[in-house]
Amino acid sequence: MSPLGTIKEAELPGLGKKYFAQLESGDRFVVVIYDEGNRELFYLPPGEDEPTCSVMLTDQEARQIGSIIGGAFYQPKVLEKLEAAVAELHIEWLKISPDSEVAGKSIGELGVRKKYGVTIVAVIEQTEKGKKRTAAINPGPSYVFTPGQTIIVAGRRDSLELFERMVTGEGG
Amino acid sequence: MSDALFLNLVLVIAGATAAILIARKFHFSSIPLLILFGIMIGPHAPHGAWFDLRLVEHTESIQMMSRLGILLLLFYLGLEFSATRVIERGTTILKGGGIYVALNFVRGLALGWLLFQSWPAMLAIAGITTVSSSAVVTKLLVEFKRTANPETELILGIMVFEDAFMAVFLSALSGFFLTKGTSPLVGIVAGVVTVAFILGILFLGRRLSKLLDSLLSFRSGEPLIMLVFSLLLIMAYFAEELGVAEAVAALLLGLVLAETSHSKRIIQLVTPLRDLFGAVFFFSFGMEIDCRQFAPVATYTLVAVAATVVGNYFTGLLSAWISGYRGRAATNVACSLMSRGEFAVITAGIAGVAIADYPLPALAALYILLLAVISPITAKKSRWIHTISIKAWTLFARKKAGSAAC
Repeated sequence: MSPLGTIKEAELPGLGKKYFAQLESGDRFVVVIYDEGNRELFYLPPGEDEPTCSVMLTDQEARQIGSIIGGAFYQPKVLEKLEAAVAELHIEWLKISPDSEVAGKSIGELGVRKKYGVTIVAVIEQTEKGKKRTAAINPGPSYVFTPGQTIIVAGRRDSLELFERMVTGEGG
Repeated sequence: MSDALFLNLVLVIAGATAAILIARKFHFSSIPLLILFGIMIGPHAPHGAWFDLRLVEHTESIQMMSRLGILLLLFYLGLEFSATRVIERGTTILKGGGIYVALNFVRGLALGWLLFQSWPAMLAIAGITTVSSSAVVTKLLVEFKRTANPETELILGIMVFEDAFMAVFLSALSGFFLTKGTSPLVGIVAGVVTVAFILGILFLGRRLSKLLDSLLSFRSGEPLIMLVFSLLLIMAYFAEELGVAEAVAALLLGLVLAETSHSKRIIQLVTPLRDLFGAVFFFSFGMEIDCRQFAPVATYTLVAVAATVVGNYFTGLLSAWISGYRGRAATNVACSLMSRGEFAVITAGIAGVAIADYPLPALAALYILLLAVISPITAKKSRWIHTISIKAWTLFARKKAGSAAC
């Protein structure tokens, strides 16, 4: 068993796809994505081949819960800086500080992709009391950053570090 | 169109809809119920002095819709099938699925010979009893929460395999019956010619797929479905002229279009059409059956059902064992594949016209109806069946050991 756990993928012709995850705890977890959009989650205790419990989600529920698990709404306190790494790809969540260089500038003006080689995936607006949190997904070059926003950015580690220093306002 | 004719159509569609709604409500498979409703209110429905259930007639318009239904069912079969998908299943499933289908087919042939001792009927019975209904099997897997189980890949792999087998078998069968079954040799030659013809067209289709790709690249669905549907009708019309069954032509067109990059879109567009006309096909299949035919075929049907259940159990176990599944997973495979459906009816539909001497439609209807009741039970009780068979096996082994000791 690898320490990080393994995820296996299998095709279910006529039904959809199946993802089998071996967790660190020894528990196993299966996600079936049906072609018509529903997702079904199964839990298999260690040593069992048949699931003991399951839950069915609609497409929309699955997306919402998926983003909750992914940390889009609330980031766990332990991880100040959430970081997901898949091979060379790094995704970082960066909060724009008030003294940041990028505040008040647009994506095109900064030349994010050209100069830094990173891609802005989304920008989450600052939360204000009583207001729902909104996000600009895949914002265009005319999008202007303001302090307090959180930028979700993808790229290589070295280029991300450069960009990060500028956003958080630490030197650069 | 006269009002009476239109009312007839309304009643047929309403009857089919009622069958599907009831099937859905009670988690029952819809095909046997569609046939049953067709029998119950069709031209051969029970009628007496004070009641008459003969509500609908088998008019020309219904016949036309039913004919379109079988064309669309076979077109869809071809469209969904792709050779790469079968190969992608991997060698273990290829082995397991191949053995499963081959053994079941041999069992079907043997059963057909045992029941009727005639060549055409033997082939028809083999076609009716070999292949499970993928719609029912997948529905049961989802319903019993088995999609996460490891053996599900094998079960669904077998389904893919069965579809492939049926595509070849149905073309050979309709080739065989087009010669009106004059002699087995002529029939087999016709079957082989049909299969060769298909392989030729498939080869051509691969070459043509680039051309078809650009021909079919429409932004909206309207011209695409119209063109595909006209192609289907044109192919079916000229097939009869060329001496190939129209069902084969439909299948063929599906196979050729499956190679194009638009196959997924065509599937999406054709599915509702197939559902609608397919329902009319199954319903009108029932309309042609006289319920009094059930009594003489009852014994045959019971034998066929018993042979299917027992045969399926052992071939399922064997193919699971070969694919590396043991214990309860293997029993699950064996118990999940019992249902029969669309292919049984299509085979009976193709064969029934050619060999009217045997009451094949009635047999097929009763057969899938019984299996529609049995298959969910075996699938649900597979855990219990597994424990029982283990107990029986140990008892048998102990007895053997005991007698050896004496």
